[in-house]
Amino acid sequence: MIATAWRVVGVGFSLLVVLAAALLYGVDPQQTTSAGSMIGQDFWFSYEFRTDDLTVLMLAVVGVVSACVQVYSIGYVRERVASYTAIVTLFTAAMIAVVIADNLFLLLIGWEVMGACSYLLIGHYWERSDARAGAVKAFLMTRLGDVGFLFGIFVLGVGYHTFRISELGDGPIEPHLLTAGTLLLLVGVIGKSAQVPLQTWLPDAMPGPSPVSALIHAATMVAAGVFLIARLYDVFVAAETTLTVLAVVACVTMLVAAFCAMAAVEVKRVLAWSTVSQLAIMFAGLSLGTDDGRHAALFHLLTHAAFKGLLFLCAGVLLHQVGSAAFVVLRRYTRRGALRKRLPVTFVTMTIGLAALAGVPGFAGFFSKDSVIEAAWHHARDGSAIGWVVLVSVCLTAALTAFYCVRLWLWVFFRTPALAGALGAFEDDDPMADLEEPDSSKLREGSWLMLAPLILLAIGAIGLGYADGVHLNWVVALGTTVLAVFGALPAYSLWQRGADPRPVFLEREFGFDSAYGRAFVVPVQWLARLAVGGDRDVIGGYVRATGRAGVLASAGFRKLQTGNVQTYLTAAVVGAVALAILAGVIGS
Amino acid sequence: MPIVVPLLLAVALFCIGVYGVLARRNAITLLMSFELMLNAVNINLVAFDAWHVDGLATGQTLAVFVITIAAAEIGLGLAIVLLLFRGHGHVDADAARDLLEQDPVEKGVEQ
Amino acid sequence: MTTALFSIAGAVALLAAVMVVTSRRIVHAALWLVVALGAVAGCFGALHAEFVALVQILVYVGAIVVLVLFALMLTKAPTNPLPALTTRRSPFAAVVALVLALVLGSGVVLAFGNEKLKPVPDGSAEAVGTAVFRTWVLPFEVLSVLLLAALIGAIVLSQRSGKKGDD
Repeated sequence: MIATAWRVVGVGFSLLVVLAAALLYGVDPQQTTSAGSMIGQDFWFSYEFRTDDLTVLMLAVVGVVSACVQVYSIGYVRERVASYTAIVTLFTAAMIAVVIADNLFLLLIGWEVMGACSYLLIGHYWERSDARAGAVKAFLMTRLGDVGFLFGIFVLGVGYHTFRISELGDGPIEPHLLTAGTLLLLVGVIGKSAQVPLQTWLPDAMPGPSPVSALIHAATMVAAGVFLIARLYDVFVAAETTLTVLAVVACVTMLVAAFCAMAAVEVKRVLAWSTVSQLAIMFAGLSLGTDDGRHAALFHLLTHAAFKGLLFLCAGVLLHQVGSAAFVVLRRYTRRGALRKRLPVTFVTMTIGLAALAGVPGFAGFFSKDSVIEAAWHHARDGSAIGWVVLVSVCLTAALTAFYCVRLWLWVFFRTPALAGALGAFEDDDPMADLEEPDSSKLREGSWLMLAPLILLAIGAIGLGYADGVHLNWVVALGTTVLAVFGALPAYSLWQRGADPRPVFLEREFGFDSAYGRAFVVPVQWLARLAVGGDRDVIGGYVRATGRAGVLASAGFRKLQTGNVQTYLTAAVVGAVALAILAGVIGS
Repeated sequence: MPIVVPLLLAVALFCIGVYGVLARRNAITLLMSFELMLNAVNINLVAFDAWHVDGLATGQTLAVFVITIAAAEIGLGLAIVLLLFRGHGHVDADAARDLLEQDPVEKGVEQ
Repeated sequence: MTTALFSIAGAVALLAAVMVVTSRRIVHAALWLVVALGAVAGCFGALHAEFVALVQILVYVGAIVVLVLFALMLTKAPTNPLPALTTRRSPFAAVVALVLALVLGSGVVLAFGNEKLKPVPDGSAEAVGTAVFRTWVLPFEVLSVLLLAALIGAIVLSQRSGKKGDD
């Protein structure tokens, strides 16, 4: 009953958010003022809110995706429903706080609450050790970024002499303070949006429930970094060093993540790496420093929320109905096309989502990716090196994206025509696996509660591309289509031959995790062992020693009890003589 | 004669008696040494009675009383020695450790 | 005269006492005890306390030593010389006794210095008896009760049934 109440609250809240977005659409940008208090001598702290186009856009994204996720979760989540729904609702509220905040500290509050909710939700299936580990890892890495974020807020606030977002960027500031502040904020963004070098937590957050992955790790929380830079764009544009750093980070990340996605063998992991890569594309657009770039990044954020949310929810359906999202398991159902036939809606919507991700012409991803490439090209033509770097990286990433999308689609839904199955294409794979088939008679489509959001998001994945008005640059469009085909062909031919070669360094994801483990985890564990040893052996040793000393002393005293009468008498006589001598000495 | 003479004799006898009580192994010889100590006390008493004459013959009377008590004491003492002999088969005072409390504390009591 | 007699008796007593505590044969120790006790009786006699001397001989030599000899017999005392008749702590005991002697002796000498004494003026049985039954009659009666208690105690202790020193 409590679960039902929370479900109602959750869905209702999300719908309220959508309503708010609709009401605020087209309204002039405004800010509220409210009571506050002084910090120290110089700073005024108050809870202020603002609204403008960016706010409306984010409210709409958050509201719609959150509503879809809440409805989907009604069919998906079976245990601890009340706490799950409550935390998702709390998360939505925190994201709203971030989006409508006009004060940097208020934004920080929402930012941190989102991190906490992410931790709680990834650990929803806390019986699983990978869920617990992933939750802690996510929390620690985003927290690490948040330290930088906090100090960035301090530096910027002190530099601009105000913490109010609408006033930031208006006043003068010393250049090095600006650079320092924005770089520190960038650290927070890198942590929250899983860019290199803090990208390893996102793929490990996949043991969380799929709707959580869709909401938090695809559409909203990781996009908060993009939102932040877009919100403080004037400030960031003024700090050119930061933009350069951002561009480098984004380009490196998009390529690293795309490569890792090409070697992942589980549906959700592929999607996680894909998220990292697409976020990097958004950051690359922002790093150009032009209004075009910002616009393109936000457009890509919008479409990405739709199709990535859709893809994660589809992966959730597969997980829910089949029981696993690993390629090794799913391909066993491909012999008679069991997945295609028995989960038709899922198949169609997943195809739409993958097409949007890969940039197939006509789908949303195509338009938004092209706008980023266009903005980069304009900037590059104006003579900027960053523009060229971004352009080349995004184009390359587009090809790689097409590769892993096609790879995912083919291996999961279609039987490879290679003879005798694909020998050893995946780990633990049986060469004769293609010939035997698990019992798929019980395989059914998900309930309509899970399918309705899929259909809604699929419509968005197609339709949102046209939301910006269609203005295509035909050269760019042709170029990206060719790139997508170049990426898809190798995937198709590999699948056809039944091969899935995965280089070791890609399977190890460039060794980031093991390096971090050696650099941080091992010393901390060593310190922990040292502390435990110190407590047990040093401090505990002293404690035990006091007891032992008492026992030893009593054992020593017990030796006096010889039981021998003459010994006792001797002692008595000696004592008496000693006392007599003493009395004599004292008396004289 | 100087009073010091009987007093020193008493001291010497007493200390020989002390040595005997502390050092002798056989319980009966222990009791015999104890008798020596009592005799030293008696010499002391009589000497003091000779030195300071009060009309009550205190020293001599007390000496007689001490002899009486010594007799009672040795009777009981020898009864105890016989009991010791019955229990142990010997009267070695050094080997009789019955007063020793057997160790009731188990070893290794701390963690 | 008194001094000479007393000194001789005292020397004999001392010698005999030393033999009591150092003799290796138990029975010899008992017999040396007889000599010592007799010498002490001689000391009493030198001081003209005849009654005490006679009581000493009667009770000590006559009863106590006989009792000791009976106990030696009942405990199967060996008649051969035993080397281990003295315990290991005898040197220490000797030291203790020596120190005690020094302490007491110096105390005595310092306290009494050159005081002189004369032999007891009235040491006859009549004098002591009068003193006992006039002044000391109460302790006398108490002593008889004490003797009774000792008698009963000795009987109780030597009963056989389950009283093997479980105390």
